[in-house]
Amino acid sequence: MNSPVLTELPLITLVGPPNSGKTTLFNYLSGKKFKTVNYPGSTVEYSTAKILSKYNLQADLLDSPGIISLNPGSPDEEVSVSSLYNHPKLGSPDLVIVTVDASQITRHLFLAKQLVMSGFKMIIAVTMVDLLHRRNLTVSSKKLSEELGCDVVLIDGRTGKGINDIIDLIKNNIESLSSDGRILPTRTFSDSDKNELLGIYHELEGIENKVLEPLNKKSGDVNLEKANAKLIVLNPTIKEAINKPDEITLRIDKFLLHRIWGLFFFFLIMAATFTSIFWIADPFMGYVDDFFALLAESASEFLGDGWVSNFVADGVITGTGAVLVFLPQILMLFLILGLLEDTGYLARGAMLIDRPLSKIGLNGKSFVPMLSGFACAIPAMMAARTIANRKERLLTIFIIPLMSCSARLPVYALLIAFLIPGDKPWIGGLILATIYIFSIVSSLIAAAIINKYNKSLLKAKDDSSFILELPAYRVPKPLIVIRNSFESAKQYITHAGPVILVFSIVLWFLTYFPNHSPEIPDAQLMDKTELAESITAERLSSSYASILGKVIEPVMTPIGMDWRVGVSLIATFAAREVFVSSMALIFKVTADEESLQSSILTSMRSAKNDKTGELLFTPATIIGLIVFFIFALQCISTLAVSRKETGSWRIPFLQVTLFTVLAYLFTFITVNGLRFLGLP
Amino acid sequence: MKTAASLRFGEKVIISDIDSSNPSFRRLLEVGFTPGQEIQLINTSAFSDPMAFAVRGTLIAIRKNEAECIIVS
Repeated sequence: MNSPVLTELPLITLVGPPNSGKTTLFNYLSGKKFKTVNYPGSTVEYSTAKILSKYNLQADLLDSPGIISLNPGSPDEEVSVSSLYNHPKLGSPDLVIVTVDASQITRHLFLAKQLVMSGFKMIIAVTMVDLLHRRNLTVSSKKLSEELGCDVVLIDGRTGKGINDIIDLIKNNIESLSSDGRILPTRTFSDSDKNELLGIYHELEGIENKVLEPLNKKSGDVNLEKANAKLIVLNPTIKEAINKPDEITLRIDKFLLHRIWGLFFFFLIMAATFTSIFWIADPFMGYVDDFFALLAESASEFLGDGWVSNFVADGVITGTGAVLVFLPQILMLFLILGLLEDTGYLARGAMLIDRPLSKIGLNGKSFVPMLSGFACAIPAMMAARTIANRKERLLTIFIIPLMSCSARLPVYALLIAFLIPGDKPWIGGLILATIYIFSIVSSLIAAAIINKYNKSLLKAKDDSSFILELPAYRVPKPLIVIRNSFESAKQYITHAGPVILVFSIVLWFLTYFPNHSPEIPDAQLMDKTELAESITAERLSSSYASILGKVIEPVMTPIGMDWRVGVSLIATFAAREVFVSSMALIFKVTADEESLQSSILTSMRSAKNDKTGELLFTPATIIGLIVFFIFALQCISTLAVSRKETGSWRIPFLQVTLFTVLAYLFTFITVNGLRFLGLP
Repeated sequence: MKTAASLRFGEKVIISDIDSSNPSFRRLLEVGFTPGQEIQLINTSAFSDPMAFAVRGTLIAIRKNEAECIIVS
């Protein structure tokens, strides 16, 4: 089927099995307009870009998710395959570049062969030839090209060697497009049976035998005949060499995948990952925080008194700061996860943890999303897409909000500081560790329980499977990891940012109006600071927020809280960290002399329950609040992403209901239980 | 009938057939577990499940119940 003229830019699609060096090639070729797009109505993501301008080539480049064959094995793969044939926005590709890992050439040629059979116009990019060289083998691109009837080029992902060759091939192919018109694929593979699959493999084994050659460093010295004779003799050896996995990888796996020590190393690596995320990101979070505090202060000085100034400083700037303060941590998480993935370890972690997780209805592949959940539930839910089984994927998404995300950290920091004496900070670390372990344990228990009721809660068919390649260990490529981390961080900002900002503004409005400039009796007797404090306090106690708070007060009383805490808890739906600033706002803190945290603590220690006259914050209520934060799903953005990832409002609705009920129930038990035991 | 699930560490065998009653059989074939192919058990996780096999130059981890449908000789 040929279409007459090419009207738009030609579309080049990159396809390849997972771990075949596809993304590395994409990063080499892609230039401006790099962006990630969603396939409409689904969760499959694509990266698109223009070809790097220095190559002087006008074309759109599309990086599709890794697939093993044209016969999809999961719903996500189904979308990937069908959009390869006909992308809903970009149409059919004019040219397909398929990446093939040279060190496992038969396995990876499987997809390439299916693409050839489908009738795509294509180029094969053979990657990781260096891994083949380690086994004293090399691949003949000329012979491979003859065997499969399409262009073949060897690419070295680390040096970029071969990129110019592929550009030349792309140019040739595109030129022939304008004369021949575009070639559209003619067949699909969803119907192929066992015999056809075996037939393809049989053919590829023959091709493998022909295209692999012993690596001869002095090839110039040896005459052709002799080399050919040698080749025939060496063929059985070639077969053995290509069937043997990478020697270095096997040696490393003796330790990292050891039956007993494997899990020990796993927990060690995870512990190191977490410590470094918090430890490295901490100073940068401080800088962001300071910057926005300074910005807010100078804005309010510049704009003077009045609601405009207050809106800009407290509503907009502080709201933006609330989004960006977590950026360093999220960036660090993506960076470290990216590096771990690039080395090849993450797949092994998934293997090590698959058995225990499968017992509670999860999958080894749930492990990476759960890990990401400690930074932020939003990228974590998106990471769950790699799980082929729908039930396991939904269950993973379901429990991710129980992972103690980084937004809860400032809240815990404040509450723990209230509990412990200032001279013993190590107790705080201990409590924090306990909170983390507690949240992991409760998420696993929750998963086990929800799994029991899978039929009524998740409504997903269960045909669990775990087939995962453990790629050869490689030195990670930092530049690509950094670029992808920035891309993911950008996604976090665009997903969560607007919601958090809008909520901060709404919260500001609720605490500022209707009585925005209250009359203060005896105003002339006060100094400027006192007057400002009284105005803020008066404004708040007659605000919409306080009206709302008093409505929910009956709910807060049983768990030992009053309307002010209630309002703060509602405010945390914008973002959990808003709790701290909301407490500051409501307990009328002025930040002179002391640090913000210690001045909040001072006023929290003296705050009294309006009704009973007793102290509002006691060890019992503070521990209760911590328990509340462990369980409650107070995050609008998480709900929005959960809706997007699960395809309906059913699961986010179940999540928010279940986790809020749990939070309230456990807080009630904690506060009253502790009081019963004699804790104030 | 011997299956890949009963291999000892380091044991090399040739696949004789793939049991097509397992829903994963197609994916097993696609990733390279084909009759006639040599495989070797390299690692297992702490609970002997999943198991990692060397096949066609790479390592692939599969669950024990999936290894059970790889018939070997």
